[in-house]
Amino acid sequence: MMSKRIVIEPVTRIEGHAKISIFLDNEGNVSDAEFHVVEFRGFEKFCEGRPYSEMPGITQRICGICPVSHTLASAKAGDAIMAVNIPPAANKLRRLMNLGQLVQSHALSFFLLSAPDFLLGWDTPPAQRNVFGLIASNTDLARAGIRLRQFGQEVIEILGGKKIHPAWAVPGGVRNPLAEEGRVRIRAWLPECFATTKLALDLFQKTMETHQREIQIYGNFPSLFLGLVTPDGTWEHHDGNLRFIDSSGSIIADQLDPRKYDEFISESVQGSSYLKSPYYTPLGFPDGMYRVGPLARLNVCERMGVPQADIELKNFKSMGRGAVTSSFLYHYARLIEILAALEYIELSMDDPDLLSEDLRADAGINSLRGVGVSEAPRGTLFHDYTVDRDGLLEKVNLIVATGQNNLAMNQTVAQIARHYVRGHAIPEPLLNRVEHGIRCFDPCLSCSTHAAGRMSLHIRLIGPNGAVLNEALRD
Amino acid sequence: MSRTPTSIPRDDFLIIGYGNTLRSDDGAGPRLAQAVAAMNYAGVRALVCPLLTPELADPVSQTRVALFVDAAVDAPHEVRLRKLEPAHSAQIMAHAADPRTILALARDVFGRAPKAWWLTIPAVKFDFGDRLSPEAQQGFASALERIQRLCRHKLQAEPSRLAWNLSRPGPPCQPTMRPCHEPRKVQKFQSV
Repeated sequence: MMSKRIVIEPVTRIEGHAKISIFLDNEGNVSDAEFHVVEFRGFEKFCEGRPYSEMPGITQRICGICPVSHTLASAKAGDAIMAVNIPPAANKLRRLMNLGQLVQSHALSFFLLSAPDFLLGWDTPPAQRNVFGLIASNTDLARAGIRLRQFGQEVIEILGGKKIHPAWAVPGGVRNPLAEEGRVRIRAWLPECFATTKLALDLFQKTMETHQREIQIYGNFPSLFLGLVTPDGTWEHHDGNLRFIDSSGSIIADQLDPRKYDEFISESVQGSSYLKSPYYTPLGFPDGMYRVGPLARLNVCERMGVPQADIELKNFKSMGRGAVTSSFLYHYARLIEILAALEYIELSMDDPDLLSEDLRADAGINSLRGVGVSEAPRGTLFHDYTVDRDGLLEKVNLIVATGQNNLAMNQTVAQIARHYVRGHAIPEPLLNRVEHGIRCFDPCLSCSTHAAGRMSLHIRLIGPNGAVLNEALRD
Repeated sequence: MSRTPTSIPRDDFLIIGYGNTLRSDDGAGPRLAQAVAAMNYAGVRALVCPLLTPELADPVSQTRVALFVDAAVDAPHEVRLRKLEPAHSAQIMAHAADPRTILALARDVFGRAPKAWWLTIPAVKFDFGDRLSPEAQQGFASALERIQRLCRHKLQAEPSRLAWNLSRPGPPCQPTMRPCHEPRKVQKFQSV
């Protein structure tokens, strides 16, 4: 069948890292959509030959938003190559830093990037639909959001010495403990953070009441969900094993060893994107599509393990018949994870191990392969290294959250487009809503989706013969 | 909403050096901030950042004078100092985040924007590497010497009056949406 294609390019205002194609059939109906990442980074390739011990420092440079996630997964892969159990204090400190990372990243996503859309209105002019519009509308909320993110960054800095790219986690453990002064600072800030999170949860409850349409059409479809859980099924962000559930909420695979991820996850490569598309191997491609990140983590777990977040989790789970399938509810899941992270941080402040100086295990090369898995804010992150006898990397495989959500983002864009594309017209509401459909996943394409307010969009409607039938450009 | 006092003390002079230290001359700003921090001047605080982020608005709002230090290719032969005024921008978390946006956030969210200047160091090389080009080294030394003079004078004067020749001021920043260093090669991030 001959088809037409709408191209949205770029979705960034800076360097065109990504674009969106919406495919139409001959009747003008949306048949499919693709979210392309057109930038090549090549970390997997140029890290070959480097010592594995350098990887926590190198791979965190992948990103300025969530470097902690990479450095922790990388350090865990290094632990596996050394075949050591790191000291308990080191693991607790890594977990604390990961909680700080969850807070700062989720706060950025919710307060500064996404809230302007649903609080100011989808069709508010883009010039006002940004953080400054939010400030004008609700200064206290904007301030609270910035300070909540600041708290998460402070936790990272207190442990790692700096907010971004801390050289702290290493194979075998971490470099420094939590100082008493740092513990005092964290404790002092927690009450404000809890208040902010409560404020945001109340606000989002009202948002959900008035955004039923968005809940229905913003990426609401069946899929699998993947995340780490503890042995008893509690929410987990750094250790534990993997669990897959389907959209009915049924567990289809449980307590999978994350180090053996390649036995149940395969990666599809499409010529149109540098972003790989992982899928659950037993179901094949594309039926094995799964989602990761806050929505998935809350779907796969049975409890958060801390009281306030558990109350919210119960409410969250009541929104699905089985799993909660609307990608719009990623926002709600983020807030619940912030709350859980704060509760876990508060609990950890009483742990004397955090001040321990026994922080590093030392060993040589005891395994020629090491896999490190952790939950990044956006989803499960895999670092897989193969080394030679000298510890030099021969092969690197990184599976990142945005890649795992790639197929789901395609479906989300297609679902939104089906509601707004009629014939050859490219209506303004489509642009605004496609933007937000992508933001639900908070993909870390840094400048594209982290450009607050709006994305530069270039939509072209292309006929079967390649002629441009319609075009919409917004800088 | 009541504000919890932040752990960041009130400063007379806040220097924010930003850029990528693994991209050669792009690291000039962070290096300069590091150098100033090592001198331990009373009342002077220096922050090193890979990029400008919104939470910087909090410490910026609490300082008397803010100096943003960056590498730039638009003034290849001289260190430039330009007065900054707050300006709204949609870019708060991207490669080309603008110090004027941080000032606007400081004013609008935290209630106060300090006097602020933008110090740019000439930059010509943005390849992978952790060393400055000769041009950037020269600019770095010049900028550091001037900041030292400023700090030695106990911050009694505005930066432009004390450390720079007013007969040769740099052009004022235009309040546009243009990135600070439009022509320069910016760092890139991979999806996570």
